[in-house]
Amino acid sequence: MNIAAFALLATTIAIYVVLDGYDLGVATVAPLVARGAAQRAAAMESIGPFWNGNEVWLIAAGGLLFALFPRAYASAFSGFYLPFTVVLWLLMFRGISLELRNHLASDLWRGFWDTAFTGASALLAVLFGVALGNLVRGLPLGANGYFLGRFAFLLNPYALGVGIFALLALAQHGLAFLTLRTDGELAERSRRLLARLWWGVLLLYCATTLASLDLRSGTTAEAPMRLAPMVVLSLVALGAVHWFTRSGKPGPAFAASSLFLASLVLAAAITMYPYLLPAFPAGSGGIDVTNAGTGALGTARTLALTLPGLAAVVAYSIFVLRRMRGDPKSTSAR
Amino acid sequence: MGSAVVADRIQFAFTVMFHYLFPIATIGLAPFIAWFAWRAARGDDEVARGASVFWTKIFAINFAVGVVTGIPMEFAFGTNWAPFSAKAGAVIGQPLAMEGVYAFFLESVFLGIMLYGRRRVSPRLYAWSATLVGIGSWLSGFFIVATDAWMQHPVGYRMASDGSIRLVDIGALLFSPFAWWQYAHVLVGALVAGSFIVAGVGAYYLLAERNIEDGRRYVRLGVLVALVASALVIFPTGDRNSADVTKYQPVKLAAMEGLFHSTNGAPLAIIGMPDTQRRELIDPVVVPDVLSFLAYGNFTANVKGLTEYADTLWPPVALTYYAYHVMVGLGTIFIAVAALAVLLLWRGRLTSFRPLLWVLMLAMPFPYIANEAGWVVSEVGRQPWVIYGVMRTADAASTNVAAGETIFTLIGYVGMYFLLGLLFMLLVLREIGLGPNVATHATQEAEV
Repeated sequence: MNIAAFALLATTIAIYVVLDGYDLGVATVAPLVARGAAQRAAAMESIGPFWNGNEVWLIAAGGLLFALFPRAYASAFSGFYLPFTVVLWLLMFRGISLELRNHLASDLWRGFWDTAFTGASALLAVLFGVALGNLVRGLPLGANGYFLGRFAFLLNPYALGVGIFALLALAQHGLAFLTLRTDGELAERSRRLLARLWWGVLLLYCATTLASLDLRSGTTAEAPMRLAPMVVLSLVALGAVHWFTRSGKPGPAFAASSLFLASLVLAAAITMYPYLLPAFPAGSGGIDVTNAGTGALGTARTLALTLPGLAAVVAYSIFVLRRMRGDPKSTSAR
Repeated sequence: MGSAVVADRIQFAFTVMFHYLFPIATIGLAPFIAWFAWRAARGDDEVARGASVFWTKIFAINFAVGVVTGIPMEFAFGTNWAPFSAKAGAVIGQPLAMEGVYAFFLESVFLGIMLYGRRRVSPRLYAWSATLVGIGSWLSGFFIVATDAWMQHPVGYRMASDGSIRLVDIGALLFSPFAWWQYAHVLVGALVAGSFIVAGVGAYYLLAERNIEDGRRYVRLGVLVALVASALVIFPTGDRNSADVTKYQPVKLAAMEGLFHSTNGAPLAIIGMPDTQRRELIDPVVVPDVLSFLAYGNFTANVKGLTEYADTLWPPVALTYYAYHVMVGLGTIFIAVAALAVLLLWRGRLTSFRPLLWVLMLAMPFPYIANEAGWVVSEVGRQPWVIYGVMRTADAASTNVAAGETIFTLIGYVGMYFLLGLLFMLLVLREIGLGPNVATHATQEAEV
């Protein structure tokens, strides 16, 4: 039961990262690939209809964490109070900047909101990476399970490295999305930048994976074994991104990039299990699925109440996407 | 403001009250949009077609601001109220997770069709989308109110050995009569706001002598719905809410009414200033015996006053009292305005009678005030409890977050929301200025 709950939470977060990841990625790379007002508008409109729905996956993940593991929810968000509030502000800022840019036909107005959008999104990508890095590394927890460290503790080299890696991986994802959903010069420039950026992603992937193994090696001997299939999956997916980008197949390239991101989240989840908030240093316990949970009955009830709804969400999302399929250029944005 | 819990409460009150402005509009406007979309799907009703597009734009701006201001709310329980979340998360996490899964996705996914797919889907699918968006926003409200109602009147739970609260019966939580009456009251309250917005914008068009046809339709439909909804606000929903408060939260009732001393045949205070030092209502204007009747259906019944209870169990009396009186006073005025408008509509003079059009136009902000005041009564009146009779608010605030941190983020929220409010007004006023005809025309051009 606990494994199912943990897996559901990890899957929801993975879906969020894959979906909102391309919003954040497109925003991050837009100034690099979109030249002129028309291309900038095309880049923004490619994500315009989707970002709101994508962000709901974050809300769903938050709600599931609250319902399934209330103590982890309480400890994590109060412990990360300031950085998490900053994340919330950035999420708000990027949402309003995307919504607002189309309401006034002024270059100054649009230029301002596009810059705000890019800045907030890139910073979010880094902060999500830093947060994930710290979760894998572990946190100093008090006897009652509350985070004891200060802000500075979170800014360690490992977590910052994961933050930079997250920025590049999401930028790659955004470029793959732009290659797929736009056309002409914008798509071509995205494809070329994607082919070059890929090497950076590969390099940082190898570095962070080795650092992660080193981090956990002293404690859980079986962790490298559990991780091996995910590492293989990540490498295959990353290779496929390169292959399909080179051979000019944007659809499979985007799918491969999605798989790559999902495999990273799942690898982090497998490393952490059974802990939701591992204590630092590694091996000193933490908040796990048992002591944060609501008992077998409570967990089963939450799963029974939410799984049918999530299945319906996936079904009607696919229905709407199919109905809305077509030339993204003809999308009317207000 | 030295204590962390005070800072946490101010921050929660500020962020949730700002956030709630937007759900009021989406819940209240959703039925109008669905109505117009179905009318448009039936045939060549140009006004309805324009209206469905125009009001969807207003809805979408409200929805976007509602989403971005709603995200901090969902996580505020963890950031600022960690002990409360750890203790009660097994219960209240449940409806909150269901809100995301069952309501929020529905709203956002089908809003995508309404905003971006009007030319790609059939008018029927468009109308279905409008309906599903409306159902999503109403369901969303239900799960939130069910959560709050459980905190007001906890049911179906037991205390676990580790001090946390476990949910025993989810049905008791979701089908609690307390929750359903509160939900009905909240819904019709939002509908009053929505109908006054529709009528008010229509009145503006008529006064400005532009979009005349649209303006007439909005005013007519708006005032009809306003009359029904504002009557339902008082009876039966408001009445049943009061009955539940009388039964389960008598201290709150006494604070709402400013009743300090238990009285047989208690009077209903229309005006008056409660003074907790002197423990009396200053300069009151009262209607004798009516409070006893409203609370117990009996003009001589005994209503318990605040002094029956230790003052540590009192909610902030003045705030509860004034918020309640603002809500009830405005609710009464809404009925009067809507009734007068419907009377004129019946006589065929409404859309040419300018004084009342002015009143309708200027009335738009007041249902917002009444809705917010209602929540103040409900939430401030519940103090000192966060979960009524189970957990005190003072024990619910995060101990590992200092008051200084909360004040810092509160200042950030104030600045951010001030900016957001300005931009929201700018955009909504601009859409109203463009109006339904310009809006459809421009969209058609963009889509061709």
